[in-house]
Amino acid sequence: MIQKWKNHAEAYLFVTPSVILTVTLGIYPILWALRYMFYDYKGYGEAKFAGLYNIKRLFRDDYLWDAIWNTFVFASGKMILTLPVALLLAVLLNGKLRGRNLLRGIYFMPTIFSTAVMAVVFYLIFNSYNGLLNQILNMIGLPAVEWLNMQNAMLTCIIIAAWGGIGNYMLLFLAGLQGIPKDVYESAELDGATGARRFWSITIPMLGPVLNIIMMLAIMSALESYEAIMVLTGGGPSGATEVMHLYLYKLLFPVSTGETMAQDIGYGSAVAMLLALIVGVITGLYLYLSRKLNDIYS
Amino acid sequence: MKKGLKRSLTLLAAVTLAFGIAGCAGGSNSGNTSTGNETGANNAAETKGNGEKTKLVYWTYQRHDAEYIKAKIDEFNSTNQDNIEVEMTMMAENYPQSLDLAFASDQAPDVFAAQRPNEFYAKGYFEPLNDYMTDDLKAKFEGFILEGGNQFDGNIISLPNVGNTIRLVYNVDMFEKAGLQPPKSLDEMVAAAKKITEIGKADGIYGWSLPYKSPSSALGRSAEKIAEMNGFHRSGFDFKTAKYDFTGWKPIIEAFRQMSADGSVLPGSEALDMDPMRAQFAEGKIGMYISYSTEPGVYNTQFPAKIRWDATLVPTIDGGEPQGAVDPAAITWLSMSSESKNKEAAWKFMTYMYQDEVLRGYHEAGLGISVLPHVLEGAKEPSVPGIKSFLPTKYDAAWPIAPSGVTPEGKTWHEEFVKYILVGGDLDQVISDLNASYNAALDKAVADGKVKVTADPSFDPKALQK
Amino acid sequence: MTRISGRILTWTFLLITAALLLLPIALAMLGSFKTNQELNAGSALLPKVWQLENYLYTWKEAKFSVYVWNSVIYSVGATITTVTVCSLAAYAVARRSFPGRKLLLGVYSAMMFIHMGVLTLKPAYQIMVTLGLHKSVLGLIIMMTGAGGTTFFILYAFIRSISKELDEAAMIDGASSFYIFSRIILPLCAPALGVVGLFAFRGAWNNYILPLVFTMSQPELQPITVGLANIRYGFGGAVQSHLMLTGACISMLPMLLMYILANKSFVQMNVGAIKG
Repeated sequence: MIQKWKNHAEAYLFVTPSVILTVTLGIYPILWALRYMFYDYKGYGEAKFAGLYNIKRLFRDDYLWDAIWNTFVFASGKMILTLPVALLLAVLLNGKLRGRNLLRGIYFMPTIFSTAVMAVVFYLIFNSYNGLLNQILNMIGLPAVEWLNMQNAMLTCIIIAAWGGIGNYMLLFLAGLQGIPKDVYESAELDGATGARRFWSITIPMLGPVLNIIMMLAIMSALESYEAIMVLTGGGPSGATEVMHLYLYKLLFPVSTGETMAQDIGYGSAVAMLLALIVGVITGLYLYLSRKLNDIYS
Repeated sequence: MKKGLKRSLTLLAAVTLAFGIAGCAGGSNSGNTSTGNETGANNAAETKGNGEKTKLVYWTYQRHDAEYIKAKIDEFNSTNQDNIEVEMTMMAENYPQSLDLAFASDQAPDVFAAQRPNEFYAKGYFEPLNDYMTDDLKAKFEGFILEGGNQFDGNIISLPNVGNTIRLVYNVDMFEKAGLQPPKSLDEMVAAAKKITEIGKADGIYGWSLPYKSPSSALGRSAEKIAEMNGFHRSGFDFKTAKYDFTGWKPIIEAFRQMSADGSVLPGSEALDMDPMRAQFAEGKIGMYISYSTEPGVYNTQFPAKIRWDATLVPTIDGGEPQGAVDPAAITWLSMSSESKNKEAAWKFMTYMYQDEVLRGYHEAGLGISVLPHVLEGAKEPSVPGIKSFLPTKYDAAWPIAPSGVTPEGKTWHEEFVKYILVGGDLDQVISDLNASYNAALDKAVADGKVKVTADPSFDPKALQK
Repeated sequence: MTRISGRILTWTFLLITAALLLLPIALAMLGSFKTNQELNAGSALLPKVWQLENYLYTWKEAKFSVYVWNSVIYSVGATITTVTVCSLAAYAVARRSFPGRKLLLGVYSAMMFIHMGVLTLKPAYQIMVTLGLHKSVLGLIIMMTGAGGTTFFILYAFIRSISKELDEAAMIDGASSFYIFSRIILPLCAPALGVVGLFAFRGAWNNYILPLVFTMSQPELQPITVGLANIRYGFGGAVQSHLMLTGACISMLPMLLMYILANKSFVQMNVGAIKG
């Protein structure tokens, strides 16, 4: 009995630092937002109880829902572009390949830069008027493309997000691939399995749990990223690339110096709650489905 | 290998620990300094000559004048008799946020460049200056104290220095080539943009541009000011009725839309920031745009213009006599923090900065256009090439203070109008929606007691002209 | 024959991807040697005159030597705290049974899903002010460590995938928990630790808003990201894109170094060790 509690105490000791951080930096902010979403609070003066005002406002805020829709477009685009390439790179670089360390380094390079800074560079590449990309297109006789206009800006943002994400996910996939014992491949090779077959019948199933986690991370980070968009287009032109967390950012930290955008902590809290709910439901749904699929296959 | 990893982790840990300790030591040091400040405040008078300096922190978000201000602060630091040392911090972006956080955490600067006056007044950041001001100073600034602008409930929170005039900046070479005069009316502006694009397009030259990436930056420097020139306040507020009314803006926004529809706008303008746009203008690729009196400085130092350029008054709707005036918005400059521990010293520094010579030098350096008669008296013309066309005329005059902090649910008029300018739509509908949402926000602010408005049926914008 | 064409295909794919990923970086580097006007006007690929003084100016006048130093402190500090705190918790939750374990797991997974975005910053800042940590290096490192749901779960999943035989045997031999954790579990986790550590380092290195808030009144404590924003607006009012690029290039070097370090650790890690 005493031994048991001693073991428990040990375990508690191990988790204490993490619990403290989680409570102060994870749970408390949620409670804080839970409180202020019912208040009329602009960041100064008195916070006045406002009942369901902020929550009702969520439903009539067309811009918010546009932003949420944009986020889905952005997130799916980013994942479709990023994950297959990252997985393929990881598989190729996990095999015996000359110069694979150098290549890994190269693919990882983009993730080193802060996205905010790189957006400046991407502007130089993509800007319609004299961007590098259009100069190249002109050189090979193709018409210039307005990369940052209403129709294309989202695509451009997705390309940039993929640029910053591929190295990341390649690394995660690699870490997962390292967990697959080499002899499984070796015996498959002896059996004459081709590369593609080995990929589908060994790599993917063996990656299983790691793949699940990586997918989940990818979904969440795609839904929550906004920094690069903020610097490149600021959500424009005219809201075409406004994603939901950028909208939240603008509500909480209106940066313009005039009074064109009002800080609104109360409504911001309600928006933050809604966004957390959306991301939570989507990832939960994903986990549920992937578990179902796993059950079917195994 | 395992050993290798462990070794490197241990090394990292050791290094961090060392840094960490050093860092913490640094932190407590600065804590000491601030306690030093407190004692300094109590004995500000006695510490003179004691060798103990009174340190003041001054924050500004303005960067274009940094060199001048820095020089003046250095001068103050070396000449003042009270052993005061001022340290200037230039804040990057997020200036208002930075102030919020500083005040929330006892790190507020002693003196700071005022922004968002009524919001910061409500937050209690300002030390009222009434009791510090000498009669002489009060007399000098008498006509420039505006309730709701730099004075709240009778408390003066800041004094003005300079304002920014607004002009239509144009490429003289292209206008000559096209045989055009700078536009006087909106129609002329649209036509000029079209003509220049016609003859210039082959060389990549377009008639018009604005940094539409940031709607408030783009229209804040242009459409807003054309509206004022035509007798509509830049906020959309109508002093006659004490309501918001954007109806009068229709021809202005229509003209901007027309230039987009004509293809007279530099491609990619919807994603442009101000500076890349200026770089294009300096290269000669833009026919005209509208901006502040900071432009000459920029083309003088940052982007040396490769073309001849000039500036002129912004157009009126019909090309006739302006029905209003453009507000250079010279309302606030320096403020004292209500939480400063060295208020006497802070005021000494402010007095120094507000003396005629310093303000005159500021004006003469072309860093802004002074609105103060006692400063302009005997001032030399600003030295920056091109500033001449920005010097105040009778059409550069102050407006009364409109209610501020009235923001509608949903998007601002800047964003709605830019959307219309870029893609078109039903402008009448946009305007009536804006009128509705802004007036709803106004009614709410009035009901909450945050804003007070009174209609002034006799208000005449034309009478604002000097 | 198929082998060779497969190889050609592989290499074409690898090289094209590499080129696409490197191009913007190359442009950033070239841009860092240009003048501001050259950069903004969008001229030729190569600088007309190589402006070496951009680097000199950035390093000395814009105080990048200080910023880099600060960034190193924060990033190394946050990496160590993140890895330590999360691996301790992950080990306990993965290997021990104790009352509240399920609850804890639930809370951690909830933390992973529920993100309040930038909203977190406001209440968290209040806490730090209350604790008096808002002006210290330590406070910043704690904030950067954060609640850490993802890191916890990567390590948790990894520890669960390690066979229990080893530590159970050690337990029977009477080894202490800490011994098992530090001598058996941690070394086996090395690949995961490498990845998690690298990510934590990068997260801290590229963090902008947080250090901006915490070091506002103390420029001498600002990291490189905040410093970069500072030089964005230099004297004269125009955005100094060229210097930003110079700063970005400088800021890349320590990260590259860190990557090479971490990469070595998990590339060389013998996967056989995991199987025991």
